[in-house]
Amino acid sequence: MKITRRNFLKGSLATLFLAGSGIPVYSSTKTKKNLVVIMLRGGMDALCAVPVIGDKNFEKRRKQLILDNTIKLNSDFALHPVLEGFNELWKEKKGTIVHATNIPYTERSHFDGQNLMESGGKIPYKVKTGWLGRGMKAAGLKQEGLALALPMPLILRGVPKNNNYFPTKGKLPTDKVLSLLKDVYKEKSEDELIGMLEIIKSRPKERSYAADDLYSLANEAGTLMREPDGPRVAVFEVGGFDTHAAQGGVHGTHSDCLKDMDLIFATLKKRLKEEFDNTLIVTLTEFGRTIKQNSGLGTEHGYGSAIFMGGGLLKQSQVYTDWPGLKNKELFQGRDLNSTIDSRSVYASAMSTVFDIDFNTIKEKVFWGEDLQNLSDKLFKA
Amino acid sequence: MRNFYRKVAFGLKPDEKIPSDPLNWATSQITDKIPEFSFKGKIYSEEELRKHYREWVYQDRKVLRKKFKKDKMGYKAAKNLLRDNTGQKFWKNLEIAIRHKEATHGDHPVLAKLWYFWTNHFTISDKDMLADYSTGAYQREIIRANLNKTFEELAYEATIGWAMILHLDNMENVGPKSEDARAEWRKRKKRPATINENHARELLELHTVSPNSGYTQENITELALIMTGWAPDDKYHKTRLETADVKFQRKYHEPGKKIFWGKEFPKGKKGLRAAVNFLANHPSCKEFIAYKLCRYLITDYPTKKMTDPIVKAWDKSGGYLPEVHKATIEVAFKFNNQYQKFQNPENWWLQMSRMTDAKWPPKDERFDTYRLGGGPDPYQAKPSWFMEDMGHHPYLSKQPNGYSDLAEDWMSPELIIRRLIYARKGYINLKAENKNNEFFEEVVNKNFDNPDTILNLLKQNDKTIDRHILLFNLPEVFRA
Repeated sequence: MKITRRNFLKGSLATLFLAGSGIPVYSSTKTKKNLVVIMLRGGMDALCAVPVIGDKNFEKRRKQLILDNTIKLNSDFALHPVLEGFNELWKEKKGTIVHATNIPYTERSHFDGQNLMESGGKIPYKVKTGWLGRGMKAAGLKQEGLALALPMPLILRGVPKNNNYFPTKGKLPTDKVLSLLKDVYKEKSEDELIGMLEIIKSRPKERSYAADDLYSLANEAGTLMREPDGPRVAVFEVGGFDTHAAQGGVHGTHSDCLKDMDLIFATLKKRLKEEFDNTLIVTLTEFGRTIKQNSGLGTEHGYGSAIFMGGGLLKQSQVYTDWPGLKNKELFQGRDLNSTIDSRSVYASAMSTVFDIDFNTIKEKVFWGEDLQNLSDKLFKA
Repeated sequence: MRNFYRKVAFGLKPDEKIPSDPLNWATSQITDKIPEFSFKGKIYSEEELRKHYREWVYQDRKVLRKKFKKDKMGYKAAKNLLRDNTGQKFWKNLEIAIRHKEATHGDHPVLAKLWYFWTNHFTISDKDMLADYSTGAYQREIIRANLNKTFEELAYEATIGWAMILHLDNMENVGPKSEDARAEWRKRKKRPATINENHARELLELHTVSPNSGYTQENITELALIMTGWAPDDKYHKTRLETADVKFQRKYHEPGKKIFWGKEFPKGKKGLRAAVNFLANHPSCKEFIAYKLCRYLITDYPTKKMTDPIVKAWDKSGGYLPEVHKATIEVAFKFNNQYQKFQNPENWWLQMSRMTDAKWPPKDERFDTYRLGGGPDPYQAKPSWFMEDMGHHPYLSKQPNGYSDLAEDWMSPELIIRRLIYARKGYINLKAENKNNEFFEEVVNKNFDNPDTILNLLKQNDKTIDRHILLFNLPEVFRA
């Protein structure tokens, strides 16, 4: 483990200076750019997914969860060996990890945490829209969001007429029935239902069986997003990261979840083809996990985690971090990897880059003018 | 007023008289004795079903994986056979049929709707194979069977239920100073004993006081220490594995007195009961449950005027659930005309089935024809498949907080597509003699306050099936 906080800050100052002359990301290009968010529910263990190399503080606390055959990313960090798809992106300079980051939430409840990771707020359940929905609204994007899930996740709410895809088999009613329903909904001012009926009317009348596994969903999303008039935003969900017991090392529950995430990265890359260069994929989780394993060979709820990013809009492959260290005094409340970067800075910068709007506009309109850092020039291509 | 029958239950069946006193009709269904199930086929005990679970985990983990270590295809085939031999794909269908019959054909639909509330409150989410063997039975034997007790009794039984202990990992919760912590193998394998916070956290957050109570990480740790020792008996047994009954085992329990939330709690077995009682009587717990009950039945954002009478009934009765339930129904009645509650997919499907006297769930005797060694037939397999496809399988919630009671969480194009498609399936379930336009007049007249408006609309379709689909996708039906 060679990285220290001092080294990082030196690097940051240099880039900050350069950013000062650059000014925010405005764009004149009309290229369709895509943003994909993968929500990792349950608390993704960044120390399992992207372990530090040669840190005794880490190794002694995770005796049975230490991984073999990790993929070395740089002198300080390695990659979980099941993340083969992400590793390919890394090698092509299209993979980045932001480490020791999280939303500003430290109470360790999944459900409050998940609400905040989607709303972008600080008080659970207070905000009824999602940061991505508000970002799309700020960018004037309508009808461009696609959730690869049965419900419409909070993160996308705040902009009308988002679509979702989660196949089922069956027959839709006749146009006449749909029109009658639409009239009733209009009469009763059921605007949301009217919007959905409009979307449903464009769907095939007869739906035959289609798989709803993550590979199939990612395939469908990639196919749709590749189209010039296809959705520009997609949201996936991967659950099961809450491994209080039998977390596993190279094999086990946590690595199965990471494999699911990896499958989405790899499938989207394959399906988007050249459009992958105009795409950014980012992950999101409610918190990380404790550095120390428990006696059930799992980990408890923690704080700092990591963000995986993939796509051609990334500046380079890198582990971007202000590494807090893993000594007792450096851990959050003596138990968790700390978070030194507000992950909302990363998401705000990502939206600024993909939606071609000024970072400060995003900061004001999406995150209530909170003190977020513009990381666009450090992480993304202008 | 007619929406009240759908709000607190599932509407009126064609052969049901319109009650002269709706409130009394509802509250009289909340009795001190839990009624027998309406389902008259064979019902298996949780213990019996757990034996199948045991056979499944033992054979899979200890026999097949070793036997077919180098033969992937052989392992797959043997595993499929084991699935059939232990009824893995059948039990959850049977359990949903038992559950649904209470709503569609039972005499206590109000109690059924409340039962569903509590099964969601004490969610066993999709973990390991619990849904396949145990969750339905847990919801019958632990949740429903205790709805005539106090909340603290229900909460205690729900907490120490086998499925819940497994679900929230309390079997891994071991006192760092317990007898087991000093075991030789722990030193040898470098696996010191630690607490597991999962169950303690959810007992606080989801089951009793909620984060509004202001508990801290320290409180979670303290409660976890009290909960150490509650695990399946002899959990490392060679053949029983983790499937024995849950009991308090001193060797895993953290010794000594326990301080939790600034109060001293008894050491040993009595600690958990005392802690649950403390939590169940905490003001935040009553408010949290009252709010959730109102959110489930009345409106997404209940007011204090709604929750106050429920908390009052709780205080007066010592948390006796029948009284708490009656107070909730009274509040629902009082605010009936002001608030309409969006019905989740399962409750929507069940009101459609009850109001139209549909053939749902499949007949009781059909389930009795099942024999171990095979999968369920297409009819037997419907309950689980339908609920999963609608996104509302009562045993497959993705997380321990269960399904949402907010309308916005049930609104998406795909979810509305399910309503349209399943309204058609609902029509297919109608008895042949009811597939006519006159029948719909009866249904509408009995269950809606604006029958003429609805019937005029339905008449714009010639086909009965189209009338059915239209009716069950009207805003008046989505909400009650």
